[in-house]
Parts: sequence; C-alpha cells; structure tokens
Amino acid sequence: MAEITLFTYRPGVSILHLLDTRLKFFIICLISMSLMSAGIISCCFYFFILLFFIKKTGLHFFSILNHIKLFLMLLFFIFLARTVTMEGGFPFYGLTLSEQGFMEGAMTAFKFFLVMLTGLLFSSTTRPSSVKAAVQWFLKPVPFVPEKRVGVMISLALCFLPVILRQAEEVSDARNARCGHLQKNPVRKAMGLVLPLLKKTFLSADHLVLAMESRCYSDDRTDPEFNPSGRESAFLLGSIAASICFVFF
Amino acid sequence: MSKNIINIKDLSFVFEDGYRGLNHISLSIDQGEFIILAGKNGSGKTTFLKHLNGLLMPTSGLIRVNGKDISKHLVETRRTVGMVFQDPDTQMVGDTVFDEVAFGPENLKLTRARINETVTRILKTLNLYHLKDRNPSTLSGGEKRKVAIAGILAMDPEVIVFDEPFSNLDYPGILQVITTILGLNRSGQTIMIATHDIEPVIFEATRMMIMENGSIMEDGGPLNLVHRLESYGVREPCFSKFGLEPASWQK
Repeated sequence: MAEITLFTYRPGVSILHLLDTRLKFFIICLISMSLMSAGIISCCFYFFILLFFIKKTGLHFFSILNHIKLFLMLLFFIFLARTVTMEGGFPFYGLTLSEQGFMEGAMTAFKFFLVMLTGLLFSSTTRPSSVKAAVQWFLKPVPFVPEKRVGVMISLALCFLPVILRQAEEVSDARNARCGHLQKNPVRKAMGLVLPLLKKTFLSADHLVLAMESRCYSDDRTDPEFNPSGRESAFLLGSIAASICFVFF
Repeated sequence: MSKNIINIKDLSFVFEDGYRGLNHISLSIDQGEFIILAGKNGSGKTTFLKHLNGLLMPTSGLIRVNGKDISKHLVETRRTVGMVFQDPDTQMVGDTVFDEVAFGPENLKLTRARINETVTRILKTLNLYHLKDRNPSTLSGGEKRKVAIAGILAMDPEVIVFDEPFSNLDYPGILQVITTILGLNRSGQTIMIATHDIEPVIFEATRMMIMENGSIMEDGGPLNLVHRLESYGVREPCFSKFGLEPASWQK
C-alpha cells in the first residue's frame, strides 16, 4: 500500500473541508502575500487561528512538527542567515550579530512556518480533484490554454506520483538486494536507479494511455462541479479583514 | 435465443515489426456467456482482447459489436465492451475511488447529476461505497481490482473483458474478484476472462477458448477441454488431474 503523507488529502466534514476550493485558493494567496508584511502581533494571532483549524480538521500539531522536521531545519538556516547578516551589530569572526538581526531572522522563519501550515491545511482538507477543478475554473477565461487538458494532466500527475515513488523504491530495493549499495560512484549509482525507473515510468504511462483510451477519454468532458458550503462570504470577508490587519499591524 | 453481441470474421493482426499477433480468428459471442480465454504467455490473449475494445484495429478481417463495424463506431464499441486491465495501478486515473469510477461517465459527457447517481449506485452494488474518498493507490489488491471493474461498469457495458484478473492477488483478493465477476454474469453481463490460471473460474464458465500463436486452437465446453490444456502450455486444474468433481471457488 502506498504511504499516506501529511500533505495527502484526509476525508472529513470540517468547515475547511466543505469550503469552496476556489475561495480557498484565493484566501491562501491573499494571506500568504499579506503575511510577509505582518508584525509579531498579527503573526501570533494568525498562528492561533491556524491552531484552531488544525484541531478542527483532526490533525495534531506535534505530529505535524515531527513530519516537517527537515523544513524546520531549513527555517533554522534561514533564521541563522538573517541573524548574522544584519548590518550594525557587533562583529563575531567575520559575522555581525545583533538583536535586530535576531528578531528579523525569527520573524522571517515564523512567517515561512505560518505559510507552510496554511498550505498544509489546504492540501489536507482539499480533494485533489477539487484542486484540479479550481485550476480548470481559473484557467477558463485565459485564451489559448486548454483548461480541461491541464486539469486532467494535474489529476494524472497527482495520482501517478505515488506509483512512481513506489516504483523507485522497488528499483532501489532490487539494486540493493544485489549489493548495489556498495557502488560508490554517485553518477553510476544514480544511472542505475534512473534508467530502470524511467523505463518503468514510460511503460506505466503507456498502460495508462491505453486505459484512458479504452474509457473513451476526450478533452470534451463533463465540467467539474463546485458545492459551496454557504459560508464562503463570511470567510472571504474575514480573510480580507485579516489581510488588512496583517499589512497595518 | 440469446442475442449475438460480438461477431468476428477472419480477424488477423500483424504488429509493426511484422510479428503476427492474431491469425484468421472467426467466432461469435452471445449475450450472457461466461468465456475463459486460456493460453500461455505470448499466445495472443491480450492482443485479442484489445481488438474487442477497439484499442487495436484488425490488419484484416472484421469485428462487429451489436452488428456495427468497430472501426466506424469506436465510442459505441468502447461503451459496449469494457476492458479491465491486468495492472490496476497503471489504469487508475482518479485521485479518489469516486473520481476514478466517474472518469468514464465524464468522458461520455453525462450530466453531473447522472454521474453522481450512477457512481453512487455502482459503488454501493460492489460494496465499495465506504471507500469512496480513499486514494485508490492505498487500497488492497482485491479492492483495486474491484474499483477498476466499477470504473468500467459506470459506462454501462454489455460485455466486460478481463485481462489476467487474478494476477498478483492473494486468495481473499481472488475470492473478492470472483464474487464480483459472477454477480455481474448473473445480472446478465457477458464476461470474457483471459487467463493462464483457469482453476478459479472453470466451474462457472460456459465456454472456453484456448489460444496458441495467435490462433484459437480449441473452442468448446470448459469441462470437455480441461484435459487438453497442458498440451497448450496451460496448467490443468487440480480437480481434473486428481479425478475429482469440479467445485466453485465462490463461498
């Protein structure tokens, strides 16, 4: 069975699950942009809102932290980089340390962390097919873009990813079973994994094309449907108000 | 008298590299039949099935589905003859079970209300409704095969052809698939199963064809042909080898 990651959609009936995906897309863009100019009070306020929704959707905050360990390390490096590059501090082995730099670094890392949590809430409460439908809806007015084909491509990419990951694991296991791990040359090591994986992926793509064709695939398909929950206006107003607060506080 | 659904006359197929995949096949398939297409690997079973669904077109000869030439009525053919492939992982298009089953009806441009109604009904019939929001890649082998069957059923076919439906399945998975296939056949669907393991379905099958080198070598009652299977590279079922009475695998 394929592994379920933190970013995989988790079925549920929370308000975030029921919210129209197009609005969720809009809110995520709005909040992410306005967060960049938010102050510490706004960020803390938003963090508590996120904690509330994380609890509502059945996720566990500490489990999330455990899953995003690598990302947290990246945030730590961002924090360090900001802290030691701010001008005006006292010199320390060629670097400059300052309280302002420390605060700037902490705020930048905190904001990235909030954007990450927002994205995580979006992906775990939004069906991939709704993401596809929303992208299709946003692309519809754009001339010369085959939005239905783009929608199917997104859907295929989303459902093909676990298949490719599983195949990569199989190829890697098959190599290691024949002592492939003893190969020290990184290029030869990578080639040994990439070539069989590419072959398998192309073969799977061939099978997929046949399966789609056998089920009468065409670009001219039934349009996706959206089922608004009725609370979209409240969320829209709330997110606009929050964004204004983020910019000014 | 049963209605004749598929009629094949002198079907031959040659691959691009000159290899002859099918050789002068002529036969007809009636509504409600349960056919086993037996043969060893490379005998031409999959190539033959792909012709029934219009994925391959004959080099020579004619295939008629409900009296219509498949080359001129491709969409109708694919609606009438659904094909379930060997590896369900590479035929899943949807990111949830519901979307996977809805893929075919969406291609047929049915209304959203009708798609929802059809998919819900089929998922309930196959006892898959509780999995509707699950990602197909997280299901067990038997469940994946059932979802693949549901995806075909949503297009309301008259004939369903299965390419090696029991491959890579454990015993409970095979039982799940057999129960589903037999239920379909009892409700009037015509079934054709290409397999080199005939044991699970020989008791229920009404007809068996044995293929070798792209030709139908034998065509008749399954129990009459069991002793000839091994001469075509297909394992003879245990009951026949040990002189026992055949029994259904369905519990």
